[in-house]
Amino acid sequence: MSDELRENLAAYFQRFLPFLTSVAWILVSYVPLDFASANNLRPDVGLMCVFFWTLHRPDIFNLFSVYFLGLVADIITSAPLGSNIFSFLIMYLLVSNLAAYFNAKPFVVTWYGFALFCLFTMLSRWLLVSVYYSQFLPLSLLMFSLLFTIATYPVLGLVNACVQNVLMKDEA
Amino acid sequence: MKRRKVLFIHLSNIRLLVKKFAIVILFLSAFVMMLINKTDTVIIEKTSSVATDVVSPLIDVLVIPARMLAGVYDYFHELKTIRQDNVKLRDENKQLVMMSNKARALEIENRLLANLLNYTPPPEATYVTARVIAEEGNAFSHSLIAYTAGNPNVKKGQVVLSENGVIGRIEQVGQMYSKIILITDINSKIPVVVERTRVRGILSGDNTSIPKLVFVPLDAKIFIGDRVITSGVAGVFPPGLPIGKVISVDKNEIKVKTLGDLDRIEFVRIVDYNLVDESNSQDLSNSGEKVNE
Repeated sequence: MSDELRENLAAYFQRFLPFLTSVAWILVSYVPLDFASANNLRPDVGLMCVFFWTLHRPDIFNLFSVYFLGLVADIITSAPLGSNIFSFLIMYLLVSNLAAYFNAKPFVVTWYGFALFCLFTMLSRWLLVSVYYSQFLPLSLLMFSLLFTIATYPVLGLVNACVQNVLMKDEA
Repeated sequence: MKRRKVLFIHLSNIRLLVKKFAIVILFLSAFVMMLINKTDTVIIEKTSSVATDVVSPLIDVLVIPARMLAGVYDYFHELKTIRQDNVKLRDENKQLVMMSNKARALEIENRLLANLLNYTPPPEATYVTARVIAEEGNAFSHSLIAYTAGNPNVKKGQVVLSENGVIGRIEQVGQMYSKIILITDINSKIPVVVERTRVRGILSGDNTSIPKLVFVPLDAKIFIGDRVITSGVAGVFPPGLPIGKVISVDKNEIKVKTLGDLDRIEFVRIVDYNLVDESNSQDLSNSGEKVNE
């Protein structure tokens, strides 16, 4: 394999890394956990990834990555097809338009921003799916999932930051 | 030359326009998907089962280390209670032997009486045991993905049991993997009967962990602790399968706790009672939607 080809492949890999990492996170989040109330303790990792990568690497994590990520999540779940795409696109829209507010701010501000965006996104999806089924879905489970998603964001953010710093060093 | 330049300008304009409105187009496509999902289930179902077959092997790989970790934890956790468990199991075993003897005697008696009445027995059930590779339970849906290894006996609409009772039904059958809708899912509607009073109703999932009993007569005397079993009405589920116990009776709703622990399912049993065939499986999904509406 020539050096040029190898470099090209490495560059492609780095371009797709945010998408691939996000897909891996989504797949991990559906692995059976084998303990009581496990299902209620699943954060919405897709939203976390969309927030993180849109904020930190909008150059390589674009609209289409968000769309296909939503499609992967929709395939795994039995929720109405398109509902995950919808929520991921809303998160993308919010972050890409308001990213300037998080520039050079401490992590706590970013976390707070994520919490607000997550609340808005999840409620939008809840409303949409409720209209789809013509009945209100349980808000308590949604709020529980929201809190758990917000609480675990620093962990996923840290791992994603490691991926960005270690594996995407050359490009950054 | 001029025409080519005009064409180039047009193309670049279109590209710019598409880029500008890409997010609107993608939002619209998500809505269209939801609409198609609502109206035409056949296209979505076929595409979705193929897509599930593509994505599921990736989760299947991730399950191995997760199960290993859980196994190690369980090993050390169970070591603590192993002695007490042994004593409890010995007692249970004694009781089971006694019950087994009784059951055998009753079975023979039942067979003799059935012969006297010229009774036609229901078809024998066949089982397929499948490993769960993915589970989901949030405000939007409750489902499982199980590895069915392309078993031809697995069909849409079949009953899925855990070790304690009914937990759902097959929703999608792929080449290697099948999607199971849990009884707590908003799409799940099962005709049931209260075992003690024989009052009929529909067990309806609402995406919480406790489904509710609906279409029950107002004067029905249902108490906390009553067992709920399948009624066999509509011919989708066979009668008599245990589902859960009534845990709360209010004016507006009756809540039922499932017997099977839906959070800890490692293996499921897919049961073929020869009640559902492929030809009517579509009708079945449509009827489910009608109940939902």
